[in-house]
Amino acid sequence: MKDAKAGRECDIKVFSCPKLGNSLEEYEDASAHRHTRTQVGMRVAVADGATESSFAKFWAVLLAETYVRSELTGAEFFDRLTPARRLWRRRLSGRPLPWFASEKAEQGAFAAFLGVQIDAHKNRWTALAVGDCCLMQVDNVGKRMRVVETFPLQKSSQFTMSPYLIGSKSNDESLNERIQISKGDLRDGDMLLLATDAVAAWLLKQHEDGRPLWKWLYRKLGTPGSFAAMVAYGRQHGLRNDDYTLVRVIHHDSRVEAKES
Amino acid sequence: MPYQAEISRKNPGCFVFLIDQSESMEDPFGGGEDGRRKAEELATILNKLIHNLCIRCAKSDSIYDYFHVGVLGYSEDSCKPALGGELSGRPLVPISELAIKPLRIEERMKKADDGAGGVVEQTVKFPVWFDPYWKGGTPMCAALKEATGIVETWCQEHSKGFPPIVINITDGEATDGDLVAEARKLTAVGCDDGSVLLFNIHLSSTAGPSIELPSSGSKLPDQHAKQLFEASSRLTPFMVARANELGMSAAENSRGFIFNAQPLHVIHFLDIGTRPANVHLR
Repeated sequence: MKDAKAGRECDIKVFSCPKLGNSLEEYEDASAHRHTRTQVGMRVAVADGATESSFAKFWAVLLAETYVRSELTGAEFFDRLTPARRLWRRRLSGRPLPWFASEKAEQGAFAAFLGVQIDAHKNRWTALAVGDCCLMQVDNVGKRMRVVETFPLQKSSQFTMSPYLIGSKSNDESLNERIQISKGDLRDGDMLLLATDAVAAWLLKQHEDGRPLWKWLYRKLGTPGSFAAMVAYGRQHGLRNDDYTLVRVIHHDSRVEAKES
Repeated sequence: MPYQAEISRKNPGCFVFLIDQSESMEDPFGGGEDGRRKAEELATILNKLIHNLCIRCAKSDSIYDYFHVGVLGYSEDSCKPALGGELSGRPLVPISELAIKPLRIEERMKKADDGAGGVVEQTVKFPVWFDPYWKGGTPMCAALKEATGIVETWCQEHSKGFPPIVINITDGEATDGDLVAEARKLTAVGCDDGSVLLFNIHLSSTAGPSIELPSSGSKLPDQHAKQLFEASSRLTPFMVARANELGMSAAENSRGFIFNAQPLHVIHFLDIGTRPANVHLR
């Protein structure tokens, strides 16, 4: 678990866990977060390397890191992946591979991607996604926390085993149709959850079935142990075996805090 | 619900291919327009299926044993393991071993996009596990019996795993008994997650449109095809969804039967994790 405070505006915690039966080295998700260059916000990304592609972990890391180091929030981000792709190719070059590994690497690696920029002064977020990593925004108003937004997927039934993903070789022609962008407002205390597909699908299903975990995630999720407990509970209650990554961001309106202090 | 077991290295899937090597496989394929024999078409299909399975399971610089694969050939009056070379005589082989032990690896030229709107020729490795062969009758019932024994053992050893899939590739005429009755015995075998599935790939000498995953046998051209359809298992709901994702037309009652078409998509009917929709199958 990694913690971060973006000034006083964002409380960020990152939780992750490899697929049951796999080693930590085989975990193929990635996440990254970083201040925006103007220091008035944060950029947060999660990426999910596809099981059925090779060297996918490295590609997922490159996507997440490239996003948080960039300033772009729109589709043009995907036109600036040339250095990341060069790094991915360089990792493979000169490496002797058996025929099947070489042919698989030739297809490239693939990953789902979600990047979110949080503008702490304007209390806004902008999200960019390809694939099935999901953003869920939940407010902290009233007894039952309300789901304000889920992006790019809205229902657990929309997750499939064959999403369109970002490739490490080049953008293909249909990428532009697959890029999704959304924006939203933030209120003091709002929680943003960025999750890879299995966790996102399960959290949405729990919500749909009237057993939402939002309050627990907001108030109780804090340590690797509590995340492990959630995963253990989930595996007994429909959480698909996969790599899991969940980034929780709690937004604090700096103007509210300024008044309080 | 059946057919939900996760396929992993700990709980691998199992494919058993039954290969018709009878004399009739010498006949031309699909009306004979391109001069290919059915036995040659079959060898191409099988080599591509194993090739694609290897690629599916390749992971960075290694290969994960998500599947074990058996190949049984039937001809004359018997059925026996048909893999050659170092794998000779083995009824089931982990995919990692298949990948490193083909009969030979040929180099072939392939046209590829040069990234600038043109086409370049590339040398690609083409592993060969199986060469065309034909002789004698078609003991398909013996092959189904042999496969029944193999999957029974597999299910005992992998009771929590996904049930085996048997894929029979033939021109359709069993010469040793009631094909449908033998198929019923095979698909009566099962593990906790469901019964063994039998798919049939029919390579006919008859020219005509390909038929993939039909729900009814009414449009099939002859009695042999109808019998093979009858012997084929229904697709699971996941398989129907995956087939549609891959551009095949499948419905709730579709059966694992393909007439005069490449069956390469069939190996993608089992889930081993996220498959990028933008990787096009070979």
